[in-house]
Order: sequence, then C-alpha cells, then structure tokens
Amino acid sequence: MKLKYNSEIMSGSVFLVAAVVLWLLIPSQIDTMETSAINAQTVPKIVIGGMGIFSFCLLLQGIFTAPKKEVVITRTTLSSEHFQKELKSIIYAAIFLAYLVALTWVGFLISTMLLTIAILVFYGARRWYYYAIPLAMVGVVYFIFKMLLRVSLP
Amino acid sequence: MDLFFAGLETLLQWQNFLIIPVGLALGIVVGAIPGLTSDLGIILCIPLTYGMDPTMAILMLLAIYCGGTYGGSITAILINTPGTSANAATLFDGYPMAKKGEAYKALSMALFASTIGGLISAGSLLFLAPQIAKITLLFGPAEYLALAIFGLSVIASVSNKSIFKGLIGACIGIFISTIGMDNISGTTRFVFGKINLMSGINLIIALIGLFAISEIMMKSQYNPRTDRKIVDASSITKSKITREEYKRCRKPIGIGSLTGVIIGATPGTGGGLAAFIAYNQVKTTSKHPETFGEGEIEGVAASESANNGACGSTMIPMLTLGVPGDGATAILMGAFMIHGMVPGPMLFREQGNILYAIMLGLFVVNIFMYLIGSVFTRFYAHITRIPYELLACIVLTFCIAGAYSTSNSLYDVYIIIVVGILAYFLRRMDFQLVPILLGIVLGPLAEMNFRRALILSDGSLSIFVTRPISLGFLLIALGSVLLFAWRNSRAKKKALA
Repeated sequence: MKLKYNSEIMSGSVFLVAAVVLWLLIPSQIDTMETSAINAQTVPKIVIGGMGIFSFCLLLQGIFTAPKKEVVITRTTLSSEHFQKELKSIIYAAIFLAYLVALTWVGFLISTMLLTIAILVFYGARRWYYYAIPLAMVGVVYFIFKMLLRVSLP
Repeated sequence: MDLFFAGLETLLQWQNFLIIPVGLALGIVVGAIPGLTSDLGIILCIPLTYGMDPTMAILMLLAIYCGGTYGGSITAILINTPGTSANAATLFDGYPMAKKGEAYKALSMALFASTIGGLISAGSLLFLAPQIAKITLLFGPAEYLALAIFGLSVIASVSNKSIFKGLIGACIGIFISTIGMDNISGTTRFVFGKINLMSGINLIIALIGLFAISEIMMKSQYNPRTDRKIVDASSITKSKITREEYKRCRKPIGIGSLTGVIIGATPGTGGGLAAFIAYNQVKTTSKHPETFGEGEIEGVAASESANNGACGSTMIPMLTLGVPGDGATAILMGAFMIHGMVPGPMLFREQGNILYAIMLGLFVVNIFMYLIGSVFTRFYAHITRIPYELLACIVLTFCIAGAYSTSNSLYDVYIIIVVGILAYFLRRMDFQLVPILLGIVLGPLAEMNFRRALILSDGSLSIFVTRPISLGFLLIALGSVLLFAWRNSRAKKKALA
C-alpha cells in the first residue's frame, strides 16, 4: 500500500476533527445561565472556531502546497529501523502511563524507584552506580519534601 | 529626605546583611526546582519571619522572590524547563545555547541581565513609584486586553515554519486556560464531571508537562552508546561572555529592564508577560532576528532582564495603591499585614522609614544575588556533563514531586504526564510549544478583560480603539507583527535569489 502525506495534512485533519468534536460539546460542557450575548461560552467558541478554521487552512496547505512524503507499506515495514524507533517512543510513553497506575497503588517512593529502574533498563544502562544515584535521589527528594518542605508525598 | 536617611539607617543593621543571602539561597533553590515557585518559597518562609522585625522579615521574603525569579532560569537553560513561569521566555535561546555547549555563558548572561534588570527595577521603585502608579491607575479592561494581545503578537515571530500551526497552538493554549470554573459567571467549563478539573489546569503544571516531560519523551530514541557526547570539564566554563557580546546585550538589557519596570508596575501582569514582550521587541528590532530561537545570547539577556526588572516594580502598585502586581506580591502584601503594615497611600506617611529601608534593601538583594550567582554558576553548568539517562531520572523525580506539591494532588501528576505525551506528539508534528504556552499564560487575562470591556461598552468593540492607551498597544502589536512578516518575506526572497 502506498501513502502520501506530510505533517500539515496529519495535524490539520487531527485538529479539524478535534475542533468539530469540541464545538459539539460546548452546550453540554458549558451550561451557562447567563442571558447576555457575551457569556462563558463566548471565548471557548472563538478559540475552538479559530482552531477549526486554522486547521482547515493547514489541511489545504498540506494538500496543495507543502511537499509530501511517500511511504510504501509492505511486510518488511514492521521490521524497518524507522518503525523500530517509533516503537521505542510508544514503549517509553507506555512506561509513563504504567507509572501513573503504580503511583496510585503503591505511592511515590516505590513507584518512582520502579520508574527510574524502568528508564535505565530502557536505555540499557549496565553500571551499578547508574542505578544507585537516581534511586538515592528519589529517597533524598522524598526526604526533602516530607521533612523540610512539609509536603507529604503520596 | 529625612525618611530616606532614616530608612538607610534601618537597613544598615548587620542582621539584614545575614538574612538576605539566606533568602536568596532559598529562593534560587526553590526557583530552580520545576514546580516550586518563588510564591511557594515565600509562603513556606512566612512563618519563619514571625519573630523578626518587619524590615528583616520583608527583606528575606523579597530575597526569596528575586532569587526565585533568577533561579528559574537555571533549569530553563539547562533542562529546557522553566523553574517558574517568569522564565518561560528564557527557554527560546537559553536551552539552544546549552545544547551548543554554551550553558555557562547563558547562565552568566542570565545572572548579569537579572541583576541589571533588578537594580533598574529597584531604582524605579525608589524614585518612580508614585508617578508610575498614577499611569497604571488609568488602565481599564480594554487596556488589559490590548496588553494581552500585545503579548500574543509574539506568536508571529515564533511561528517561522508555519503560522497556522502557531495559531492552532495558541488556540490550544487558550482552550486549556478556559478549563475549570469561569471566574465571572461561576459556570464550569470542559470539566467532564471531574471535581479536580474545577479549579482548572495550574500554569506551572501545564509548563512541566509541556516542556519537561515532552523533552524527556523527545529523547526516547536516544541511544547512549552512539549519541552520547563526552563533554570535557574544562570546555564547560571555557565559553565566557566576550566584551563584544556584553556590548551587543546592552540594548536588549535596556529594553528588557524598562519593559519589566512598566509591565511589572501594571497590576495583574507580572514577570512572565514582561519577558515575552521584551523578547519579542528585541527580536523584532534586531538586525539578525533569524538567529533568535537558535541560541542567541541577546534573547536570554532580554527575557531575564525583563522578568527581574518586574520584581521591584510589581511592588509599586502594592505599596502605593494597595493593589498587588502579581501572585508573589499578593503574598508579600499578606506578609506586610502580618508585620503590622497596611500597604496603600498611608504607608509612606506612617511607616516611611521601614518602607525606604525595604526599597533600598532591594538594591542590596540584587548585588548579593550577583555575588552568590557568580560563585555557583560554574557548578550549575556542569549539569550538562551528567549522562542523559541519569539526568532524565533525576529531572523526572523532581518534576513529579514538584507537580504533586503544587496542590497536594495526584491529579496534577496525571496531568503533567498526559500533557507531556500529547506535547511530544505535537512536537513530532512540527508544532512549536511557545504559542501554546502564550495561550495558557495570556488566555485568562485576555478573556476576563475582553468580557469586562464588552459588558462596559454594551457589546460594542469600539471600546478597544477609542481609548488611547488600548489603541496604542494594539497599534504596536500590529506594527510588530507586520514588521516581522515583512522581514520574513524579505529574507525568503533573498534566500530564493
């Protein structure tokens, strides 16, 4: 399969759809009692409307003027270096999202230590002190916030 | 004149000269941790000042305020995350300078510009306070909106690659700023039934997500074995500011300091807005605007002189009218009251000697800031030598703890991670983060005053052009956008030829 695209077409389409969805959500999300023409909905409407118009202009710019990249999707695409790099970004984002779940369950100290280990493993760190320094730092931060700044971390 | 000398006598007590460095050190540390602001530093230290005499107490808190505003530039330059919102404009050129191996030079300029801005601001507080207060008293909603639009005009100069992406970014930023409870009507907006979203998305939380987390995400494809650059310790402090660069930065520091003084003296604004406006003005009037954003020392000089330039002048409306200039001065106003001083016109008459001691003390604070900063800058600069994977873990730990401490809520940690991941994808689609940031910072100011002005004028837009100060700001904003567009098209034509 052959695909022709550029960042203008992609971002223009994404934000055009986002603007339409947000516009449709305005009545349910901003239930104002104000009767005047200028109310709590005015600025969100201007901003979301603006986002829609600029996204449409960006989409047109992407279709008609900006240079496009051509990508051919085959069976070997999944094993290509480019795809592997993109996969790394997704795994990295997944580590962060998994951290949020862990933070809710086991608290700051343990979850942040696990996050630190996960990041160092992700980058392939092998030296022991690469693990010791940030892990100690998590402890130090926990102590500083709890004892000195009187912020009890979860 | 009697009050001046009485103030000088009050200031020249040895205890004051001990407490100022303590306040500065605390302020710099607090400012340099993303998520902790000088506001928080002042709040945490107010209880420590209960037993002090008023001059000493206020000087300590002022030192935290000034130190925090400078300290925020350290992380802006080194890890692309402003410690406080006032340092957001320092990112544009500070971080690219650090990436070029000029971290020490950028940090030194930030310190120098902050000190000059701070000293000019202290001078303005001492000599111009009553006069500036009279001018800013004339500001109404129309003027504030024009001022916000003036700030938003920066988008034109930071959206070199695609103006549409810049405008979409600004819309995203303003949209984020509308989330939560509407201040005028009390209606909730885009909270999707979540109680935690009712107070909106905190500015510093959005900043941590947008810049720190997305920056860490941007390095997801970094390979320590092939991409690491070994930086020699001696090379870090090798690139010092040259005499020619000091000369070049005279004008940006001048513009930045004056912008800081004027914007800071306008209630409800603050150092962040001043830095953006100063940066834009310096870039627009520069002979080489194309170098801005790629590690131009003049950009660091403009933004840092402006945000510290606002430090003293934000006190002008507070001391003379009893109206705080920004969040930090609102907290300082509380501290004044705790120590038995009620800010306002009567303060000059009733406790003039203490007031003059504080205003003169601001000079001492800035001089000490330069001395402390110059000793420690070389140590900060070595942060760039830490292997990236270690730095990422340490920065993340501080960001998460800092975000949580903003309002003791896990929700803020969720927001920084989600905003960070979304900002990463935007950056991958060639979006600039600065227009989003501008939208978040200036959105509330613009919206509130837009609606107030239209209520006053019965819905007529003519209010924005019939008031001379508002018209002036709008014309300057339009002029700077047109000038930038003209220069941009001329540069493109030249490149084609």
